[in-house]
Amino acid sequence: MASPVSCGSRHSPDELPGDPSSQEDEDCDYEDRVSYSGSYSSESSDYDDVEPEWLDSVQKNGELFYLELSEGEEESLLPETPTVNHVRFSENEIIIEEDDYKEGKKYEPKLKRFTKILKSKSLLPKRHNKKSSNGSEPVSILKHQSNQKTGVVVQQRYKDVNIYVNPKKLTVTKAKEQLKLLEVLVGIIHQTKWSWKKSGKQGSGERLVVHGLLPGGSAMKSGQILIGDVLVAVNDVDVTSENIERVLSCIPGPMQVKLTFENAYAVKKETTQPRQKKAQSNTNDLVKLLWGEEVEGIQQNILNTPHIVMYLTLQLDSETSKEEQEILYHCPVSDASQKLKSVRGIFLTLCDMLENVTGTQVTSSSLLLNGKQIHVAYWKESDKLLLIGLPAEKVPLPQLRNMIEDVVQTLKFMYGSLDSAFCQVENVPRLDHFFNLFFQRALHPAKLHSGTSLSAQQYDASSAVLLDGLPGVRWLTLPREIKMELDTALSDLEAADFAELSEDYYDMRRLYTILGSSLFYKGYLICSHLPKDDLIDIAIYCRHYCLLPLAAKQRIGQLVIWREVFPQHHLQPSTDSNTEVFQEPEGRYFLLIVGLKHYMLCVLLESGGCASKAIGNPGPDCIYVDQVKTTLHQLGGIDCRISEQLTASPSPCLSCADWFLTGSHEKLDSLTTSPILSRLPGTSKVATSPTCRRILFGDYSLKACKPSPSRSSGGSDNGCESREGIGLSPHTTPDAIWKQRESQGSEASEESGALLKVTKKKVSLPNPFHLGNLKKNLSEKDLEIYNTMKLTSGPENTLFHYVALETVQGIFITPTYEEVAQLSGSIHPQLIKNFHQCCLSIRAIFQQTLVEEKKKALNRGDHSGSTNSVSSLNPVKEHGVLFECSPEKWTDQRKAPPVMAYWVVGRLFLHPKLQELYVCFHDSVTEIAVEMAFKLFFGLTV
Amino acid sequence: MGEEGTEGTVHLLCLAASSGVPLFCRSCRGGAPARQQLPFSVIGSLNGVHMFGQNLEVQLSSARTEDTTVVLLVGLEELTNIRNVERLKKELRASYRLIDSFLGDSELIGDLTQCVDCVVPPEGSLLQEALSGFAEAAGTAFGSLVVSGRVVAATESWWRLGTPEAVLLPWLVGSLPPQAARDYPVYLPHGSPTVPHRLLTLTLLPGLELCLLCGPRPSLSQLDPQLLDRWWQPVLDPLRACVPLGSRALPAGFPLHTDILGLLLLHLELKRCLFTVEPSGVQEPSPEHRRRLLRSFYTLVTATHFPPEPGSAEDKVEEVAQRTQVPRACYLVSGPEEPGMGWRLVAVQAGPRRLLLLLSAQSPTHALRGLATHTLQALSPLL
Repeated sequence: MASPVSCGSRHSPDELPGDPSSQEDEDCDYEDRVSYSGSYSSESSDYDDVEPEWLDSVQKNGELFYLELSEGEEESLLPETPTVNHVRFSENEIIIEEDDYKEGKKYEPKLKRFTKILKSKSLLPKRHNKKSSNGSEPVSILKHQSNQKTGVVVQQRYKDVNIYVNPKKLTVTKAKEQLKLLEVLVGIIHQTKWSWKKSGKQGSGERLVVHGLLPGGSAMKSGQILIGDVLVAVNDVDVTSENIERVLSCIPGPMQVKLTFENAYAVKKETTQPRQKKAQSNTNDLVKLLWGEEVEGIQQNILNTPHIVMYLTLQLDSETSKEEQEILYHCPVSDASQKLKSVRGIFLTLCDMLENVTGTQVTSSSLLLNGKQIHVAYWKESDKLLLIGLPAEKVPLPQLRNMIEDVVQTLKFMYGSLDSAFCQVENVPRLDHFFNLFFQRALHPAKLHSGTSLSAQQYDASSAVLLDGLPGVRWLTLPREIKMELDTALSDLEAADFAELSEDYYDMRRLYTILGSSLFYKGYLICSHLPKDDLIDIAIYCRHYCLLPLAAKQRIGQLVIWREVFPQHHLQPSTDSNTEVFQEPEGRYFLLIVGLKHYMLCVLLESGGCASKAIGNPGPDCIYVDQVKTTLHQLGGIDCRISEQLTASPSPCLSCADWFLTGSHEKLDSLTTSPILSRLPGTSKVATSPTCRRILFGDYSLKACKPSPSRSSGGSDNGCESREGIGLSPHTTPDAIWKQRESQGSEASEESGALLKVTKKKVSLPNPFHLGNLKKNLSEKDLEIYNTMKLTSGPENTLFHYVALETVQGIFITPTYEEVAQLSGSIHPQLIKNFHQCCLSIRAIFQQTLVEEKKKALNRGDHSGSTNSVSSLNPVKEHGVLFECSPEKWTDQRKAPPVMAYWVVGRLFLHPKLQELYVCFHDSVTEIAVEMAFKLFFGLTV
Repeated sequence: MGEEGTEGTVHLLCLAASSGVPLFCRSCRGGAPARQQLPFSVIGSLNGVHMFGQNLEVQLSSARTEDTTVVLLVGLEELTNIRNVERLKKELRASYRLIDSFLGDSELIGDLTQCVDCVVPPEGSLLQEALSGFAEAAGTAFGSLVVSGRVVAATESWWRLGTPEAVLLPWLVGSLPPQAARDYPVYLPHGSPTVPHRLLTLTLLPGLELCLLCGPRPSLSQLDPQLLDRWWQPVLDPLRACVPLGSRALPAGFPLHTDILGLLLLHLELKRCLFTVEPSGVQEPSPEHRRRLLRSFYTLVTATHFPPEPGSAEDKVEEVAQRTQVPRACYLVSGPEEPGMGWRLVAVQAGPRRLLLLLSAQSPTHALRGLATHTLQALSPLL
């Protein structure tokens, strides 16, 4: 049975009047949601009207990467060329008009949403067929022609196209009314402003944007003109909408005409990965978006930096001795990288030889190229070899090791295996895009956050070294009430047992089972119902496409990503042969990411198993997208509360390094005016600050101790909602539905229940630093005495920075941007940078320990390996480095610059679960206190 | 080209870069020389890789595999203009013992630190006086007393020798089989790379050798027993006290904390170091293990945290601008989770001195730095 057919029939309107009662529920539920969504977001008008705007961006293989910037963002990005902004809209409009024409559809203002969805659903496959089969439809040309553009690396801003025109012919075929020569002669459709949204600026000198191509016209035949291009000159005569007709009418007879176009993608703003065919040519809209306008310079810069990724086969067919036949994929094509490509023989030989000699696989090598040291990381899988080479000055070796692992993991998540990623021709542009982003991130991490405050930018750049390599997601601890709301919202979505998602609704097997979802806010994970492995897979995908920083800056107006994914965790064959044990269904998995403003919700869907099997390359399902969007809209209300948490987060207080740098004479003054104290609102004097801290802590402990309400039944959820006064759909579904849900006892709800428990645990997970505070609080009386006696240590908070990684749940906590931004200073940013770099090397040592432990676990009883001279330091569990720093510019010649000493300590916990903790604190803390914090962290997370 | 291979086997392979002819290949397994050789195909590929890279102006410097096995391809400067490869091979044979001692588990650490291994004699000034007087009488400015490869005392001029030879000469003396007297031609890689000098050694006491570096004169026979007696008879007791110092490095009774299992003190300006793993009674782990631990720790600390000394060849690519954050100390806790197991390592730096300590697990982590700082203060007068 073909899926489009089944889809179509399933959603055909005739079937709708099924069970009247259920429909009633449905309707009211639906109304509810619409009204409330309207009240929540004025920007979401798109949400209710017509078909989703991303629909046209869906690719042939069902993938979708639709990113729409928030309005403010778009305007700020390109104020000087406003025309360009409309390219996307214009495209859509053309399609819509066409649809109208073909289907004779009229928009009814009160059209119910489900019918729209049905329409678009049934439309979807049709449209795809159309697009793939004939290229006569204007929009598809854009996708079609760009095929030929693969291989072009740097897109010229302007291009010349020679086409043949014949005005003689025109006179023959001349039709009724006054035709536009541009359309008839050249075959380019340009619609003047009056038909567009911003009709005000119509008239003189409008840019000639190609809105469509006439089927069979010369422009289309040339194959080089794309929709969105801007015609700027004809035979070197500048043209605008005003003079174009005049210019064209001067063409005397049949001749070649040179048309100069400004490239659509050289000026285009938004990224649509679905147009992956031309991902190469529009050298990364995403890159441009993220790295800002200086991107040109950066890219030139990058091209001059030797870096490469290569995928080589070790199995050489000796008979066909083609040049470079062993290269299955490589990127980029630049002079600087050419040399690295040409010495691939070295890598191949080393890979082969070292494995023979040492019995272990080669992991990396270093070489000197034009006096520059380049690290090359190896990843060997069966008979293929993936190589990534980057200059040592940009990327230290331990980081490169982590990076290649991440790349492999991401590619496997996206394509299933390295082979399927690299060995399919149609993936080449996608990979180009992928690695372009990758190298941008690796070589210019600081520029990624252009437009944000300098301190955040610095913080991000310096922390990326460490954080990007951590097997975890940045976590934001939220108060229990907020967390509960989030959990409820996500569980409701995951249960998928209401509205169009429920099986009863259409009396059909559902398309997808929602395996779990995780919610990000401004780049922080705030709620996750996904297993750790899936969460990490999704997180590194998001990291790779820089989605989290986008969300952090509210640059997202709307983001919809849909693609088939291959979560390794689900696809690994079960090692347990016992049939009683849960077996993963042989299903397919899809990732749906919907972003709205600061929120981003990632949903992992499974087809097969409980849901119906997916056939072909299904595109994004509107119902699911809408449900996810609804969930996000629904969370709009607690936006500000989460935001509050970000600034006044319950995480441990930090100090700024500069506060400790004052000379000994000024210490007394500095303490009373110390920002550490004045930072706390309403506390101006020393005496009050401890109280404040106590409150902070007490508050937390209270929350933690509060008996958690039973969440197993839906009823309590309901109660919870009403208590909070956010009784907004879909939680407020009538009790009947709840009962129905309970009686079903469906696996999904049980599962989500279990997940809830897990996440609940997360909430109560005590932060070691609070306990550190506790200790401090206990001795606060003493401290007050200290305040007057000894000023340097004791009462002051000496914690500068920290990173705590919880590998079992795949999360880590570290100070938020807001917190760090509050601690400005001249030394502090350097300290943070140094901290992360130091942690990277500490972590590299820990990773060796982990490898060793794994090996030990593999061959238990065999202790002969422990005498290996190379690794004799293992197992390392704690490593600390003491640094001294002084102000960069010290002008006072008479006095030596003040010196501040601080520790960077890393601690690895193997039991009972894998945890890593990195802290940075002032030297004045007695180290035993740190040891205590370690132990508390250790003891309380069991 | 050097390489560390399977199960701790180390191969050192020397090739003539121009022709690819192997000059020598030494292997060492578990600290002792081994006969196992690299297969010819591997040698060929290594040379091929080097040649291939050279043609494309790419120089491979190192490669790593999973269990951190390291392959180092050091583009050696060509020794000399090689006229006769076979003859060179034969000549190189003379230095096999020295080369093997580098590959094996040496008790010394000068190869790693590029500092001269020293010991601190109980009555150093007396020995110093005797040595200076004797050297003057023998007609050379370069003289030293060496006990099992470590320098007990040396003349001012000897200390001024450049880095490679200052480390290599005592090392060479320690690696040679015991003999009453030697007259050994040596090239000084730094001071006199083309003209050979003579290294004269005289065994004063078993294990304790007197070394002189000189030109054509004096001949060995000129150093008659009378001259020796005159200068060394009066200090015979201090000399005797030096002999057992070899592996202890510090004079008996020097107060060290009992937790200290091993110690490495470096003076980065004088380029001298004290290295011992037997400051106190015998405990776990074995001296070899302790030495390996301290060596690894030294490598780690120098490679990742402490800046390499100025003037050293390996300029780390790391940003120089970031030197406002200067590392002063570091520690490492190793071993299983259970308390009282494993060991601690700590390093502190103060001025030109750097101290690395190996400590038993009973030493509390928070006290590591204090202990190291105190020990460094106590040791400072010695070096």
